[in-house]
Amino acid sequence: MIDSQPIGRPTTAEVTIVTPEGVLFRLPLAGPASRLYAMLLDAVIVLGTVNGIGLLVYWIFAKAPGFGVMVITLGEFAIWFAYGALLEGFWNGQTIGKRLFHLRVIDQTGLPLRIEQAWVRNLMRVFDALPFAYLVGGISVLSSPLMQRFGDRVAGTLVMRQTPVAAPGEDFWTRQKYNSLLDYPAIAMKLRRAATPELASLIQDALRRRNELAAYARREIYRDLASYVQSEISPFPDELLEMLSDEQYLINAAGVLFNDQRLSRVRI
Amino acid sequence: MILDLERFQAQARPRWSNLESLLAALEGRPDRRLHPAEAEQLQDLYVRTAVDLNRVRHGALAPELMQYLERLVARAYSELYYAPPERSEIWKPRRWLRIFTAFPETFRRQARHFALAVLITLLGSTLGGLAVRYDPASVDVLLPADYLRNPVRRVHEEEQGKRRELHSAQTEAVFSAGLIKHNIEVALLAAALGVTFGIGTALLLFENGVLLGAVAVHYTRQGFGLFLTAWLLPHGAFEIPSILVAGQAGFYLARVLLRRREDRNMRQSMREWLVLIAGLAMMLVWAGVMEAFFSQHHAPVLPYWFKVAVGAAELALLTSYLLLVGRKETAAEARARVSWENK
Repeated sequence: MIDSQPIGRPTTAEVTIVTPEGVLFRLPLAGPASRLYAMLLDAVIVLGTVNGIGLLVYWIFAKAPGFGVMVITLGEFAIWFAYGALLEGFWNGQTIGKRLFHLRVIDQTGLPLRIEQAWVRNLMRVFDALPFAYLVGGISVLSSPLMQRFGDRVAGTLVMRQTPVAAPGEDFWTRQKYNSLLDYPAIAMKLRRAATPELASLIQDALRRRNELAAYARREIYRDLASYVQSEISPFPDELLEMLSDEQYLINAAGVLFNDQRLSRVRI
Repeated sequence: MILDLERFQAQARPRWSNLESLLAALEGRPDRRLHPAEAEQLQDLYVRTAVDLNRVRHGALAPELMQYLERLVARAYSELYYAPPERSEIWKPRRWLRIFTAFPETFRRQARHFALAVLITLLGSTLGGLAVRYDPASVDVLLPADYLRNPVRRVHEEEQGKRRELHSAQTEAVFSAGLIKHNIEVALLAAALGVTFGIGTALLLFENGVLLGAVAVHYTRQGFGLFLTAWLLPHGAFEIPSILVAGQAGFYLARVLLRRREDRNMRQSMREWLVLIAGLAMMLVWAGVMEAFFSQHHAPVLPYWFKVAVGAAELALLTSYLLLVGRKETAAEARARVSWENK
């Protein structure tokens, strides 16, 4: 059911899941760094909670401070394990830290994890935390294709990245009425054939993030991309280039790469 | 075939947003139950979105759209195939009380692994005992703490009540909490070390056994056998078995991991492991309380025979609990099942 062999050339680790109907999808996996940050945040939350409760306990046991310490020591110990297990078990595989860092624990078949799994992976922390600073767990994550620490291996769980994915919007370049690159169908066809998926998505990203980029950065990136396409992939004639800014050139190129069906109607 | 993404998206976007809003509604529902009509709709949208995903994967260069569809399909898949636990079951106190019968039942089911833990501990303590018996100098190596090496001084101090001023109920409470925490950590580690195919568990039990054997022989040879029994038995009656149960859990985990391919029911296996750990944690809470509040009081205050008797009674109680509780119930259940089948 699980195939750790990625499809294509992913830039990050991912798991490919094949459902019983033969539907195939990939889930991105979380690396050790983001998990560490989430854990540190959780530690701060637990310590804060325990100390908050501790003040109350001291107040209740003012006459018997020893018992206060006893309650706090045991409470802290129990909360330490129960925090992760109960939140992950009942809150969709997320602790507060994991939610803020967009991480989620799931079963390795792609289904939500069960409460037993949440307890097992959290109790196994005593082993993963050995000998200090989660060294065993960290080595396990780095050496595992599914990025599992030992607790995950035993419980059969994965930690996935759950960065929000925006619904596909109306792509702005699709509203272009006139695409001047299509005046040169043979060259446009060449662009369509020779462009790699990476280049295509690079152009798409660069255009989509137009407003996030500073003006000088945008100019430079667009110039580099346009001259790369022009020199390495599909040289359009100079008289066309004189009329187009780099940005317009890329918008048109993206139109050729992604959307325009007009090309398929052109006989070459 | 190359997709006309623009037209394709315009056609498909309504069903994607339908699926998205259905999923959002389901995920926001605490019990995650589906109504029949919703299940039908979900199944329909899931299949069609999966087809869309396939078309985008093979017919278009649109990594972001593909990522969006994969996420959507993954969410729909997990809603369709995940059978959520009965929420009402989880919050029933009676289910929580079940742990008191589930623990001895599991203990008996996995008795082989307990036997292995006992065997390794016995091996260690025999070795430790023999070492001290025939080479008293080995005490310095085998016993880490000074108070364990000098029984004469220790017993004298304890009986004189030199540390008596420390024995207020307050300090005992702090001591007890520290003991409980430390012991549960060690036991949990022994159970988790099962992941090293049981080797770590075995080493830990063996080391524990060596220490136990060495201390016992060392004190007995100097004539403090009774003192030692009275000192250790009241809490040891629970503490030592609980470490053995931790070893049992560790070996059980090792077996489960080694035979993972054959073992289809991982969920049940995990539950067994968790029940053993819950059980030993309860035992260690009791042991910690006894160790701090009872074991540290010696002869003039508490006569040794009394302490030994309490320890022996605890041991008898624990043994009968582990061997007998839950047995009647299962027999009754079996009878009920048989009579039901005979009808």
